[in-house]
Amino acid sequence: MEAVESRELQARDYLEKHRIMELLNHLTSVLLFVRPPKPREYLISLLERLRLAKVTGVAFPFFMDNSNIVAMFDMMDPSGKGTITFAQYKEALKNLGLCIADEVLNDDGHIITLDKFRDDVNMRTWKIWKAF
Amino acid sequence: MDATSAPHLIPSEMPQYGEANHIFELMQSMLEQLLIHQPQDPIPFMIEHLHRDNDHVPKIIILGPPASGKTTIAMWLCKHLSTNLLTRGNLIGSEFSSVAAEARKHYQKCKKVPDSLLIRLVQERLTEEDCVRRGWILDGIPQTREQVLMMQTLGFAPRHVIVLNAPDSVLIERNLGKRIDPVTREIYHTTFDWPPEAEVQNRLLAPEGISEVETARKLLEYHRNIIRILPSYPRILKAISADQPCVDVFYQALTYVLTSHRSNAPFTPRVLLCGPTGSGKSLQAALLAEKYGLVNVCCGQLLKEAVKDQSKLGELIQSYFDKEMPVPDNVIVKVLKGRLDQPDCVQRGWVLHGFPQDLDQAHMLASLGYSPNRVFFLNMPLDSILERLTLRRVDPITGERYHLMYKPPPTLEIQARLLQNPKDAEDQVRLQMDLFYRNLSELEQFFKQAITVNGDQDPYTVFEYIESGIINPLPKKVF
Repeated sequence: MEAVESRELQARDYLEKHRIMELLNHLTSVLLFVRPPKPREYLISLLERLRLAKVTGVAFPFFMDNSNIVAMFDMMDPSGKGTITFAQYKEALKNLGLCIADEVLNDDGHIITLDKFRDDVNMRTWKIWKAF
Repeated sequence: MDATSAPHLIPSEMPQYGEANHIFELMQSMLEQLLIHQPQDPIPFMIEHLHRDNDHVPKIIILGPPASGKTTIAMWLCKHLSTNLLTRGNLIGSEFSSVAAEARKHYQKCKKVPDSLLIRLVQERLTEEDCVRRGWILDGIPQTREQVLMMQTLGFAPRHVIVLNAPDSVLIERNLGKRIDPVTREIYHTTFDWPPEAEVQNRLLAPEGISEVETARKLLEYHRNIIRILPSYPRILKAISADQPCVDVFYQALTYVLTSHRSNAPFTPRVLLCGPTGSGKSLQAALLAEKYGLVNVCCGQLLKEAVKDQSKLGELIQSYFDKEMPVPDNVIVKVLKGRLDQPDCVQRGWVLHGFPQDLDQAHMLASLGYSPNRVFFLNMPLDSILERLTLRRVDPITGERYHLMYKPPPTLEIQARLLQNPKDAEDQVRLQMDLFYRNLSELEQFFKQAITVNGDQDPYTVFEYIESGIINPLPKKVF
């Protein structure tokens, strides 16, 4: 029985180390969003792009581009002040899947402007993609 | 943020695309391979896996006692599915492998090959290109539980396991008649499977070890081992009786091997029940809705509800009801779309009955974007329908519904005052049936993957058929 448990642990560690589940979730989301007529070929092309990006350091195929981030910020800031509250910022990160629920984010008292939000989202996304 | 706390509205194209292209199974098989091999670089590994596209190649194990016909079945299946056959004989006889040479030495010394060597041979063979691309059939391996466990640790899992069964006495007798053709290595039998060509007949040899004593000994050992192998393959095992003609065994094996197992993919049933009036559609729909939480969408009910709501559409429908004319298709479609668009239908799935009654209506349903993913045709002969419908009666005072054959009224007094719904009169029923059958062939052609169920049985049997049709994956038509 020990052998079985240790292999299971080994498998779980492997999944976490290479962030396989996040990668598969992302791939499935892209497939369902784009709905290509030939899913296998499309998946292969996605993975090839990812591999190239990793090797050459060229831009990763981000899921959300700049206009999406701006749109999201505007949704949270209907009055057009230019800033959002810390609570909104945390919720937004959770919804984008860019931070784990228990992660403690420092509320350093600074207001969150659009630029700060954008940079933060990009940095987190880049960190996640780097690990794939 | 409001938009994220409210329930997400997922466009219905997404789950439909996922189901149609088997996205879940694709991802699942990729994850399985990743976990078995645990490559250091997952992305190139995944790219290679996707290129290979071998999720559906046959991976079959055939087990059975001596003289059950394993090798014959294995060879026929192999030819039919154009895949590779692996037997102990051809594994040990392989010329290019050092492991095989070692195995041959062992065999010559003590007439047995140790388990570890045998499984290493299997592993070597299964990693070769043609097995990876076209699949494999293992004939008679694994023979012991140790071999099963070794194969599992190496990551080779079959998708179908067939076990042939027959009474021992039959097998002992059968084995006496076994003959082998030394040239083609095919197995023949003096009584059951005699080759037609005379030259083959002349060169047949009796193999060694077919005496009764020998066979009995081998059977004993087989029974001892098989009982510990069977629990290792709980959901993919099928036992087929070998005590029947070869062809029957072959067809059963082939049908089993071509079916896919139930998958864990998320599945929202969108069921369509078609059948003449009186075939039991409403009853089945109600049973399905209750058991699986689906939304029961009955076309007639929907129209009556619209009338009750006194909406604009409802008034329009009422005018048709008053004139006793059938409601036109586009009005029905509008009411239907309104119902199917609601979030509970999209999330929980639906059971539709009473709607597409002819080809045009079916096209309209498809153009709405709501294609059912399971279609059932309930077949019933006219006599049974007549029996079910024309004997229906209602008691006008208590409102209780009776059936003169299946649920007769308890007293003569009640029976005297029973009334019949004019729609249930025999000529009306015949008219409805004719109408249905005129459109049936077109509907059957439109819904190519429909399942036909015999409606002329008791409701729970029909329900079980429908259930198994929904739960199991749709059969792939190969021929």
